[in-house]
Amino acid sequence: MSRMRAVASTAPVEVEEPIVGEVTVTDKPWIVIVWNDPVNLMSYVVLVLQKLFGYSREKATKLMLQVHHEGRAMVSDGTREKCEADVARLHAHGLWATMEHPS
Amino acid sequence: MRIKPGRAGSVQIVFDAAEVELLRDVPEQLRLLYEAPGDDPARSRLFPRAYLDPTEEKAEQQWQAAVHPELVRERLEGLDRLLGALADAEVKSRRVKVSLTADDVGVWLTVLNDARLAFGSRLGISDDTDVFRFAPDDPLALEMAAYAWLTTLQGGLVETLLGSMPG
Repeated sequence: MSRMRAVASTAPVEVEEPIVGEVTVTDKPWIVIVWNDPVNLMSYVVLVLQKLFGYSREKATKLMLQVHHEGRAMVSDGTREKCEADVARLHAHGLWATMEHPS
Repeated sequence: MRIKPGRAGSVQIVFDAAEVELLRDVPEQLRLLYEAPGDDPARSRLFPRAYLDPTEEKAEQQWQAAVHPELVRERLEGLDRLLGALADAEVKSRRVKVSLTADDVGVWLTVLNDARLAFGSRLGISDDTDVFRFAPDDPLALEMAAYAWLTTLQGGLVETLLGSMPG
């Protein structure tokens, strides 16, 4: 991701573990992945994650930094249908997202 | 350009007339890209696959068929809204003042982001590219300057929206 000059950025936060949502079904959920990309601004990724998923600034920043440092982060999970909808919203905002089913 | 944050995520942006010319050019270029047939790396980046797993090819096709027209329609609407805001701008000598609601700012951000993704793909932007530093005799210098300017505008607008949202 691209860091803006002259724009205050949040200090890096230690990423301890991937953030996993609540799972209420017995079957393993699908997961939505956001991939690192050299164009998207770090601040923009935080904004989109807050807007689409209602995450706090802290959680959105943690996920953004995980994408930036590790190349990818899981941003949501759920049924196939929910993940397909999440991926479409992320694409509408220009984030590079895919979905997969952990086996 | 000067970005002045207003109430509840609204902003006023004062552009120089030359900057507005640059901005006006963006929707036309994006429109061509959205509607272009065939494979194009910039277009593939704007409309990526949902499934990487090749065994999900059928689901991928169904998903594309279900969402792609809507993703294109929303983007085209975004281009019209950006042009509409520019058309409604207050022009005084060489200064062009654009007033945007928080919702407009959200739309502008997706258009600016698409423009940067498209130009970034063509310019071969990588994590190591410093868009604010390039050789003036580089044949891509002008495009790089436009990309850098769009980056500054997008970054400024993101900051105003983040500032208006709860932490």
